[in-house]
Amino acid sequence: MKQLGCEHEVDVIQALHSGQWTDHLRLHAAACQDCSQALHLAEALQAGAQRAEARFTPPDPHWILQRARRRAREIAVARMGRVLAALRALAAAYVIVAAAWLLRGYAAGQYQEVASAIQPATAMFALLGAAVAGVFVVAGLWPILGQRARR
Amino acid sequence: MEDAGMMAAWVTPGREQTAAGEEGFRHLYEATSRPLWGYLQHASGRPDVADDLLQETYCRFLLSRTPETDEARVRSYLFRIATNLLHDRYRSRDDSAYEEPAECGAEPDEETRLDVQAAMRQLKPRERELLWLAYVEGMSHAEIAAATGLNTMSIRILLYRARQKAGGILRPQGAKR
Repeated sequence: MKQLGCEHEVDVIQALHSGQWTDHLRLHAAACQDCSQALHLAEALQAGAQRAEARFTPPDPHWILQRARRRAREIAVARMGRVLAALRALAAAYVIVAAAWLLRGYAAGQYQEVASAIQPATAMFALLGAAVAGVFVVAGLWPILGQRARR
Repeated sequence: MEDAGMMAAWVTPGREQTAAGEEGFRHLYEATSRPLWGYLQHASGRPDVADDLLQETYCRFLLSRTPETDEARVRSYLFRIATNLLHDRYRSRDDSAYEEPAECGAEPDEETRLDVQAAMRQLKPRERELLWLAYVEGMSHAEIAAATGLNTMSIRILLYRARQKAGGILRPQGAKR
């Protein structure tokens, strides 16, 4: 396999960073085309880095911490929102299955005797209860469906 | 990142919530924000992008709750987040054009500065990243691999090509003296 570059290039760059040059490495860097090119490029880039850093005023880390805390809260809320959405979906599925089961039972005439035994007032309360449950389910699903539609 | 004790206090669960955690973060930020901004600015070519991505890098770092306590690893991890953010940005929009902001004051080696700018403009973002991490940050190939998500063997080849390309654009030292 062909050698890419010089094996001393890493040592030359490390010496540039640490300032710890050996005579041998200094002579090599001057003679080797790869190393001298790498050294020239590294010096030029480091000068650019120093200029950039001199211009830069870092923002107050307090604002970054605040931003991270706010983001953490948002993530926690979103996670809880997903759990609540799952529970709502489960509740809706339960209502749908229960309603289907009741309708199927009525259609088959299995509840004729039970229905005839129920007092009109009791039936009224049962219907009212079912209507209130329905309203709650729709109210719970409404924001979820609205959120999905907006996405 | 001179105070290892502060650093250790910061890298604990719920670290950003405590006073010691906040103080530790300030130390980390002081030590790493300038080189990280320099990297983002030269890789993206845009100071405004570098400002945005710098804040996002630290924000993601705080949220990640990394168990790392080793200074070099934390530094490498920050560069990894920054590199990922740069790549997300390259993918989402076309802002890879390189621009060096206007300088104030006297320039000691104007020709070199202009050469570097020209070289940077002609390099691909990935090449700029590799050259910066290797030559400015002094990272080893393994560290660059950790920061960029590439494998170590690829770093060797890509870095060699990037250096050849940049070296071809930069004038030799002797030619301008």
